[in-house]
Amino acid sequence: MKLIRLRYKKWYNISRDGLTTNNPIAIAVLGICSALAVTNRVDNAIAMGLAVVFVVTMSSLTVSLIRNFIPSRVRMVTYMVIISSFVIMVQLFLEAFFPLIAAALGAFLGLIITNCIVMGRAEAFAVKNPLRYTFFDGIANGLGYTYVLVIVAVVRELLAFGTILDVRIMPDTWTNWVAMALAPGGFFVLGLLIWALRELTNNFETVSE
Amino acid sequence: MNKTKQMLVFVLAMGLITSFLLVGVSLLTRERILANQQAALQSAILQANDIAFTAGEVNEIFNDRIEVIELEEEGSDTPLVFFRHPASGNISFQFEGGGVWGPIIGVITLEDDFKTIVEITILEQEETPGLGGIITERAYLNNYVGAHLSESITISHDSVPGDPNYVDAITGGTRTSERFETILRTAYQRRADVWRTFAEEE
Repeated sequence: MKLIRLRYKKWYNISRDGLTTNNPIAIAVLGICSALAVTNRVDNAIAMGLAVVFVVTMSSLTVSLIRNFIPSRVRMVTYMVIISSFVIMVQLFLEAFFPLIAAALGAFLGLIITNCIVMGRAEAFAVKNPLRYTFFDGIANGLGYTYVLVIVAVVRELLAFGTILDVRIMPDTWTNWVAMALAPGGFFVLGLLIWALRELTNNFETVSE
Repeated sequence: MNKTKQMLVFVLAMGLITSFLLVGVSLLTRERILANQQAALQSAILQANDIAFTAGEVNEIFNDRIEVIELEEEGSDTPLVFFRHPASGNISFQFEGGGVWGPIIGVITLEDDFKTIVEITILEQEETPGLGGIITERAYLNNYVGAHLSESITISHDSVPGDPNYVDAITGGTRTSERFETILRTAYQRRADVWRTFAEEE
């Protein structure tokens, strides 16, 4: 195995960028609106994460495919139309074939349209790069979003309801922290997580004097 | 000029392609989605009446055990639909109205006095996930069991324990609770007289 050579491969670097170095939530702080809203339950976070992986990958691929035809003046509108189309298709597909999952996700699904990560990857990466790299970029960013969501959701669900994936973890004497189920709880956990991640990876923005 | 033309052609082409795609997907899934919605309504009613069923035979068991009663509403062409379980006398109907972000649609089942709530199930809602969205959860909806549906049913943060006219509001979902109160009151007002007249004639 030439594992050491991995870090010279472009697809490896692109994936690492999305997952850690430039993690969309922890480092770029994009898409935190939905991250705050859906992370009070782990199952919601997982479902939302998977839907975002699909939409960000598919829309990035489409943008990359037609990148040479998109007139630059209407490129934002183009991304919007492409993203919305994929989101609506996912929504209809789930409603038709997996009505239970669709019901559980409810409003989350439609909210993917407003997720800045999807638009951000289209503008920052897909419109300038060929299909194969865009594919890795989309998957990596989607998964980068998903795992941060799941970590935050585990902490919040545990403190707010004493459960993880609806399985009771805390003893029955546990007092639920209602604040954790509300948006401010999301801010606390996400803020602490970003701080911890940046401290651990020594990733600071230098302030010019 | 050339650039503008190019842009127009692109926008038109994109609009056409995405529209066709969406219309296509919508047509392909429409029948299944409608069937799923009907199955959801039917299973909610069966569940409220404690009738055992499996996913495959919802429609069959529903037709066998539940009586569908359509009553005319004054000033409206579409009839009001009631679902009665003849064995217990329970009456169910579908209600709908505006929530905070979108429509809330659900089924309510009442005892034969057309007042005491047996069960409420939410079929469709777009409330704030985790806050107003709690309205779909059985643990919350259980607060309604035994309460009295009327023009003055009150969903409030300071509900009176034991008083059937009060139900607890959702913490962090105050506006959803307010809308839901209006929806339930309106649903009752629209149907109470129609149903009572029918029940008396019977």
